[in-house]
Amino acid sequence: MITRRTMFGALAGTTLLTVPGLLRAFEFPSEPMTIQIWWHEFGPLTAYMNELIAAYQGLHPNIRIESVVVSSGDLNQKLTVALATGTGPHIIDNDASFFGLYYSKGLLDPLNLDVFGTADYQGIQDLYTPGGLDAATFDGKVYALPFQANSMSLFINNKEFAAAGLDPVADAPKTWEDMIALGPKLKITEGSRTVQKAFDFPYHSPRWELQLFQPLVEQFGGRLLAEDGVTVAANSEAAVKALTLWRDVTRVTGDPRTTMNVSSAPNQDFLDGRTAMWTTGPWATPQIHASAIGEDFTVVSYPQLDPQNPRTILYGFMWAVNSSKPDAEKAVAWDFIRFMLSKPEEWIAKVGFLQPLKGVAETEVAKNFPFFAVHMKDIETGSWYVRSEFTNEISQAIGRAIERTVYDDVDPQASLDQAQSEIERAIR
Amino acid sequence: MPSDVSAPVSNGKPGRLRRLIAARAEGEALRKGNLLVLAVLLLVAVVALLPFYWMLSSSLRMPDQMFANPVQWIPNPINWASYPEAWGAQNFGRYFFNSSVVAVLITLGNLLFCSLAAYSLTKFRFRGRHLSFMLILSTMMLPLEITMVPLFLIVNSFGWTNSYQGLVVPFLVEGFGVFLMRQYMLSIPTDVIEAARIDGASELRIFWMIVMPLCKPALVALAIFTFREAWDLYIWPLVIITDDALRTLPLGISLFMSGYGTAWDQVMAIAVLGTLPMALLFFFLQRAFIQGIAGTGLK
Amino acid sequence: MSPVSSSRSARPGPASSGPKTPGRRPWLTPGSKQTAFAWAILLPALLILAIFRFLPMLEAFYLSFTDYDLISPPRWVGLQNFIDLTQDPLFLKSVQVSLIYVSCSVIPVIPLSLGLAILFNRALLARNFLRSAIFMPVVMPAVVMAVVWTFMYQQDGVMNTILGWVGIDPVPWLRSSSTALWSVIMIGIWRAVPYYMVIFLAGLQAIPRDYYDAAKIDGAGSWATFRYITLPLLKPTMLLVVVMNVIVAMKVFAVPMIMTGGGPGDATRVLPLFIYQTAFEFFDMGKASAMSVVMFAILMAFAFIQVRLFTRKEEQ
Repeated sequence: MITRRTMFGALAGTTLLTVPGLLRAFEFPSEPMTIQIWWHEFGPLTAYMNELIAAYQGLHPNIRIESVVVSSGDLNQKLTVALATGTGPHIIDNDASFFGLYYSKGLLDPLNLDVFGTADYQGIQDLYTPGGLDAATFDGKVYALPFQANSMSLFINNKEFAAAGLDPVADAPKTWEDMIALGPKLKITEGSRTVQKAFDFPYHSPRWELQLFQPLVEQFGGRLLAEDGVTVAANSEAAVKALTLWRDVTRVTGDPRTTMNVSSAPNQDFLDGRTAMWTTGPWATPQIHASAIGEDFTVVSYPQLDPQNPRTILYGFMWAVNSSKPDAEKAVAWDFIRFMLSKPEEWIAKVGFLQPLKGVAETEVAKNFPFFAVHMKDIETGSWYVRSEFTNEISQAIGRAIERTVYDDVDPQASLDQAQSEIERAIR
Repeated sequence: MPSDVSAPVSNGKPGRLRRLIAARAEGEALRKGNLLVLAVLLLVAVVALLPFYWMLSSSLRMPDQMFANPVQWIPNPINWASYPEAWGAQNFGRYFFNSSVVAVLITLGNLLFCSLAAYSLTKFRFRGRHLSFMLILSTMMLPLEITMVPLFLIVNSFGWTNSYQGLVVPFLVEGFGVFLMRQYMLSIPTDVIEAARIDGASELRIFWMIVMPLCKPALVALAIFTFREAWDLYIWPLVIITDDALRTLPLGISLFMSGYGTAWDQVMAIAVLGTLPMALLFFFLQRAFIQGIAGTGLK
Repeated sequence: MSPVSSSRSARPGPASSGPKTPGRRPWLTPGSKQTAFAWAILLPALLILAIFRFLPMLEAFYLSFTDYDLISPPRWVGLQNFIDLTQDPLFLKSVQVSLIYVSCSVIPVIPLSLGLAILFNRALLARNFLRSAIFMPVVMPAVVMAVVWTFMYQQDGVMNTILGWVGIDPVPWLRSSSTALWSVIMIGIWRAVPYYMVIFLAGLQAIPRDYYDAAKIDGAGSWATFRYITLPLLKPTMLLVVVMNVIVAMKVFAVPMIMTGGGPGDATRVLPLFIYQTAFEFFDMGKASAMSVVMFAILMAFAFIQVRLFTRKEEQ
């Protein structure tokens, strides 16, 4: 186990996000300029962003960065209204799955190649892990850059495993079958109260529900969104099997009635020791360190149907530039994005955010980050969260289908048939 | 009181006698039902106050005992630190100030404009009066959530995003306020106003010196309703305010809750502080409200 | 509408020679100067409402006939949005949830708040203290209320502890589609009852004491007093309370938004929440506006029925 101090101490000064051997064709403006950026409230993110802004303004005294912190629950609505009325910020921060919608509405400025000193988009894509920019690429052009890429891995509370006579490494579930077998050993009830859950799926937001449902469907050999990016198969055989499994796992391991998770604190049950196992991303690490669990936890890969053919999820947050701003300001906005992303190790150490860049895994900070290899492996086997103009409609319809089956015991096939017809209605 | 009733009847005037008899009858009913009524009201009061007690006690409870089983009713030890921690985490002083400015201005605007409009609609007969009232009334039926985007476009075209004007001006008149004032003004005797006219008072003076004082209970009620609504405004400031210096309290609380959702003690501490000004204000206004009704010449 | 003129069964005693009957002549003597004054004082309100309410409202009506995503210009589609709505199970479910919410929060609130007001409208031990205590839910801001009650409704929370005292098993409150709507309705009632209690109290205190005295002398029981004096004289207040209550209940948004986000499933997705999601999560302003027009129609129908019911009785 490493301490936070060694993590910070190990910071290297290298910048990975520069294309070697190419001179930047971008001439930095000298006139005063104000660049606005909004981001979603997350303590460590805000702290580091303020540092970056101060550093950038020091570097370019003629530039003023105006920042607004928006609560994550309000960000999407606020951004939508602002973008639609031309009052949005220069730099857009949002969940990667929204960018398909933004792109289809012409709100995004394509990445400024001059600023990044590269001749074509391939030059940028080459810096990232294979598929790392899939969510940001539209018709061959890159429109956004991720500052946080996550998979969902399985976090284990060591103490609660030990209390059940289990070893968090040797007895960690590799398959859903293992998970169901572990349920009775780790779930503790007192009368009708569940005191400790073995594991639970998330129910606090449809986005999270889809985040866990999508890889399950893929493990059963299905696909929610077809290659064409439009057709959705929410009630395929694989999806029905996935929902059935979801329900069966929940019955043995979890208790959806007993949860303190909310959109703003999705890991709360795990942090409070209310559940022995929980799926979340590497960004949760600083939170867990600050909780009563401290460093007494283990991370293993997301459970599989067939561990030989692992399927996981890839999701994250990205930055893009608002297409409605003047060209000179857009160029500076891209330059600021380049600047912010240029120290991936600091992002890992200070915020717990991984960028899907090549070479990150080899840095000292990454090597010292708890269970980095596990997170990286799950990221590499992940496919991006459903990216469609209708992501919201799809996630909400599937979220409701899951809740119908889990809460009201509706047959998975019937429940997903209803979701499918809701989605088709929305897309039409 | 019983000794009064037993006093010789012939000593009192007939009206006084009747009052005394009535008072005695009421006194008896009071005694019989008193205990039961008290018990019922006490129970209701407990239901009304429980969330307040729970909010307060949770703000003072140690975080690790937040969900202790059995429930910890009285915090032990008392966690005073939650208050300074929560207060210091954000610019809450500023948010309080903004909410106060916005709520006071909106309240004053409604008191004035709604009364003027209601007076016009109640006591004057002119073409278009009925249509005007129906139009004003219809604005009550369309929640802000629906008209928000067109409204935002209009306010934005005035350059009022990120400004007090944007927060205040669209709410200076509410259809409900006009409706409420009209309901009350209907029972104001027209003769009183006519008499003042005959005495040569100007129309504006009649409104200000005669009608407004008669409307005091309605005005206090309208002030309570409007202030509360203004203090509660959430979606609108969310849309038009991006500047931290102009954020109102509900925005600050919601931002705080999403950022510090794990620290229930601090969230509850901010909830207590966010409720306190309204609680104090309404405590005093409620007394004025009751007194205003008792002292009015409306009977 | 004047309370005094409508009190046919009340017989003022000789002590009150009776206030002048203003109901007979509600209008001031007309004149061109007076009319100009009337318009002048009506204008500020009309102007503000015209710019910030009617204009956006008209635009919302217009948008309901278009396909509009906020970014590209609106495209006229005629009645298509409305036709789609009649076939949309999600919309119909949402209307149903809203109607349940409105009826189940309005119907109990009227007798509860009137009952409390009547209890408080008499001499009583600790009356001021109790009245202030019961008034408290009104002063809790909606955002705070949503968070505090979410906290109390937790599985290990205080509500289940209290149920445990009387031997009831824990209730999943917000975490089950069969209980979530009732949990949200309950706190709506919690906050609404004291609010309307105060309005009723104001109405009750405006009823002249003499009417009650006279009724007592005539030997009227408390039910008869209530039925023939209190109720008729409270009619304007009652109308106000019912109309306001229906509108407030129909508009409810912040609480379900913060507490459940409309879930589980769509158990608490009231109409304004669905409209909001359609507009600001799905970018479908046309459909959202069509829904608002339907909601507007529902509210107008409610208001029309209420006003009709109240005025018809009076005319008899």
